[in-house]
Amino acid sequence: MLELRNITAGYDTGTVLRDVTLTVPDNATVALLGPNGAGKTTLLRVASGMIKPYSGQILIDGVDVTGDPAFKISRKGIIHVPEGRGIFPSLSVTDNILLQCPPGDFKKGFKTATTTFPRLGERARQIARTMSGGEQQMLALSHAYVSNPHVVLLDEVSMGLAPKIVEEIFEYLTDLGKQGVAQLLVEQYVGQALKMADYVYILDRGRISFAGEPGEISEETIMNSYLGSLAS
Amino acid sequence: MNQFLNYMVPGVADGSVYALAAIGLVLTYKTSGVFNFAHGALAATGAYVFYEGYVEQGWKWPFAFLVSLLVVGVLGGLILERLATLLASAPTVTTVVATVGLLVLLQSLMTAIYGASDKKSGDFLPTNGPRVGDVTISYGEMMITGFCLGAALALFAFFGRTRMGRAMTAVVDDPNLLALQKSNPAVVRRLSWVLGSCFATISGMLLAPKLGVSVGVLVLIVIAAYGAAAVGLFENLPLTVAGAFFIGILVNYLPSQTQKTQSLFLQSMPRNVPFIVLLLVFLFVPARMLTERGVRNARRFKPPKAFSLPVTAAGLAALLGLMIAVPHVVAETDVTVYSAFVAYAIIFMSLGMLVWMSGQISLCHLGFAAIGATVSGKLMTLGFFGWLPLVGDKTVSWPVAVIIGGLVAIPFGAIVAIPAIRLAGIYVAIATFGFGILLQQAFYLAPVMFDGASLVQHPRPGEEFSVGATSKRFEPVEGTSAGLFGIDFSNEKNYYYLALSVLVVMAAIVLLVQRSRLGALLRAMADSGVALEAHGANTNVMRIIVFCLSAFMAGVGGGVLAGVTQSASGNPGGTFDYTVSLIFVAVLGFCGRRPILSPILAAFAFQVIKIYPPFDDPTMIKYRGVMFGALAIFVAVAPALNLNTLLGTRGKERALDAEGGGGGSSVRDRLDVTPVRPVTIRTVEEPVLLGSKGSGA
Ligand SMILES: Nc1ncnc2c1ncn2[C@@H]1O[C@H](COP(=O)(O)OP(=O)(O)OP(=O)(O)O)[C@@H](O)[C@H]1O
Ligand SMILES: [Mg+2]
Repeated sequence: MLELRNITAGYDTGTVLRDVTLTVPDNATVALLGPNGAGKTTLLRVASGMIKPYSGQILIDGVDVTGDPAFKISRKGIIHVPEGRGIFPSLSVTDNILLQCPPGDFKKGFKTATTTFPRLGERARQIARTMSGGEQQMLALSHAYVSNPHVVLLDEVSMGLAPKIVEEIFEYLTDLGKQGVAQLLVEQYVGQALKMADYVYILDRGRISFAGEPGEISEETIMNSYLGSLAS
Repeated sequence: MNQFLNYMVPGVADGSVYALAAIGLVLTYKTSGVFNFAHGALAATGAYVFYEGYVEQGWKWPFAFLVSLLVVGVLGGLILERLATLLASAPTVTTVVATVGLLVLLQSLMTAIYGASDKKSGDFLPTNGPRVGDVTISYGEMMITGFCLGAALALFAFFGRTRMGRAMTAVVDDPNLLALQKSNPAVVRRLSWVLGSCFATISGMLLAPKLGVSVGVLVLIVIAAYGAAAVGLFENLPLTVAGAFFIGILVNYLPSQTQKTQSLFLQSMPRNVPFIVLLLVFLFVPARMLTERGVRNARRFKPPKAFSLPVTAAGLAALLGLMIAVPHVVAETDVTVYSAFVAYAIIFMSLGMLVWMSGQISLCHLGFAAIGATVSGKLMTLGFFGWLPLVGDKTVSWPVAVIIGGLVAIPFGAIVAIPAIRLAGIYVAIATFGFGILLQQAFYLAPVMFDGASLVQHPRPGEEFSVGATSKRFEPVEGTSAGLFGIDFSNEKNYYYLALSVLVVMAAIVLLVQRSRLGALLRAMADSGVALEAHGANTNVMRIIVFCLSAFMAGVGGGVLAGVTQSASGNPGGTFDYTVSLIFVAVLGFCGRRPILSPILAAFAFQVIKIYPPFDDPTMIKYRGVMFGALAIFVAVAPALNLNTLLGTRGKERALDAEGGGGGSSVRDRLDVTPVRPVTIRTVEEPVLLGSKGSGA
């Protein structure tokens, strides 16, 4: 279980998150929605230790890990697939997968990755930079499969991809959920996210404006809330 | 065959040492994106520390070797890693200034402690060994070759087979992502810097018995590694090693051929093989194969605060007034120092224009100055190849000669600009570095330039001169140079004003360029060359123009400078030595970014400050370069030393709140000033694009 308690955080340019509390229970899929600039990416960065919150706590299974650097938090099983392409462009596919695997666990990891994404097996020697956008996203996503995660944080993994590939990716994510991996999902495809999620949080200008189950809120309401936040 | 073997054996031994140095260089560049110009200086420092232990302290060589490895290799590597991390998001020019600053610092430090003459480290490895035909292959050479090859192979295996090896490449691509994948980026970087500096240190120590311990020689030799690294395109380690052997063998074999010729130029060739290889790679390898590492994250320079036109004008007028007053204020005997100061200010100004306006850097500016000085000097006195440029019975007058001197520097500027057209910033810096050294080694001594160790006469207007016999001309020449308005320029004050008027003209050129369309385009190019090209501007032509203009100004500055002493010498370590170009970059690095004021400040720091207490103290003068280097490094990393962290995170938040006016509403205010981006909300069925934040208001 991943808990974020009363997180206030931001960058040199200003505070972005104010007093945000969010929980990702074991085996659950949590959707984090909100308009652009709401602070979704920032919240994931806090959760994975990429930036340190000004105040508040991060707990993994009840253990306080606030202030730990990213590489330590990732060793505790919190896997963050970042916004954009989460790959090393100048390394080959194989080497990318190698770095995603826990140290000393490469053979098994490579097999998991290539059975999940056969495309990666075909292109094992290719330099990641030269692959198509969808293939790159699959490579980034394979991190969630090979590293025996506890909780996966996914930041708009569907960004910029054709609808068909997006559907494919959502299938992979549903699969992952079935394997019992908890997910924190940031998505633009609101409808899809609601379908997959057990819980929904809506973040609006750095604060949680809704927390509940998908049944309690409709896609339309969410869209309107996006618009509302723009108008104000 | 036997004869070739004669050169082959030491060639392979040298090549393996170059390979070691080059691997260290490529390794650190690959993993940090920071090209370490101080790599050779590090090798020299390693050799000095070894010399101190082995010769001065009388330790056993393995112990001295180990101490040097720990002090320079390991400790130095850790320090460099800190430096590189602080430079991680700096623009390329800043990383060049910082590492060149380090080079200047180490070089001056070693010279200050151990003197300029070289020391003998003694042959600590065995020199005897088996004979093949009439060639002795010494055990020492075998050990060196074996060791270096072993180290290279171990490194390949490490890169190809281990997770850490992959992480070393990955860390340049995206250190944050690496941290998300369970590796600590700081550890990866530290390891690569420690390895890289250990390799440099070892190469310095292994070269010491053959070359002697001398900072100049070692820095130059290790630069052979640049050539090797260029063969490997600064990335491929096996190719780098191959390049190193190729250079090592060529450097040993060529002298046997070139000794047969009379030409000084050809005789200097073997030493220049690395630079020629380097320049050939830069000229002919497709640009896409030479991409800069780590620039993706670079932050931009903030332009200096702009003052309004009246304030700028008043400031410049005050500055001019001050400089006019100088000869009447300072001691009579110091005026010469100030004349040189004005000449240096011209050269600094040309360099500043290049760096600040176009975001390019040149590490060979004193080379352009040397061209200007020799050409203008010869025009006024001896002429070229026995040809006397007499018009009537008068020689070319001073202003014309100085301008022609500047003009002759232009084609050289254009040549140097060729890599600039094709390649990313860091490679331009490397190319100019190589060009500066090549120019000095191959051409300074040639009759067209300084002609051996003799001085080029550079009379002031209306002064008498006498040129002794030279290699191309047997009878001495005497005469009087053309006068200028009948002014007596043997009076120091008058020459000062002559120099000052040239400086004013140059400043006017800089201001004109800055305000012109070219200036605006150059600034845009420094920001984003690609975007500018998309708008149809020809950035190649602009790069050449600015390089040529800068070379012209530096050439004129060189002429004015030579006029101060009325002669110029191209001796190593002299006024026009390539190291002075490096010191220039370091000094300019800490003098701000204002086009007129900063070069003048830099020239002041470089030339004038040393005559006043407390800076006139011999110790101060001795350690001058150390201070310049340290200041350059400090200024380069200062933006990354986040002074806010002293406040603590809570303090930082409070400071930000205070800025925003405090209270809850300020949060919204701040969020609303974030860059306007279109808001996309998509459903799988139909993407909808809703307006932007701006239009919603
Ligand atoms: N590295 C950064 N440095 C400074 N400010 C940042 C940085 N990253 C994001 N911000 C700012 O923080 C705010 C929240 O950004 P964030 O990326 O968390 O939004 P988001 O909800 O993920 O938006 P989107 O849906 O567009 O991805 C924005 O105003 C953004 O400009
Ligand atoms: Mg985001």
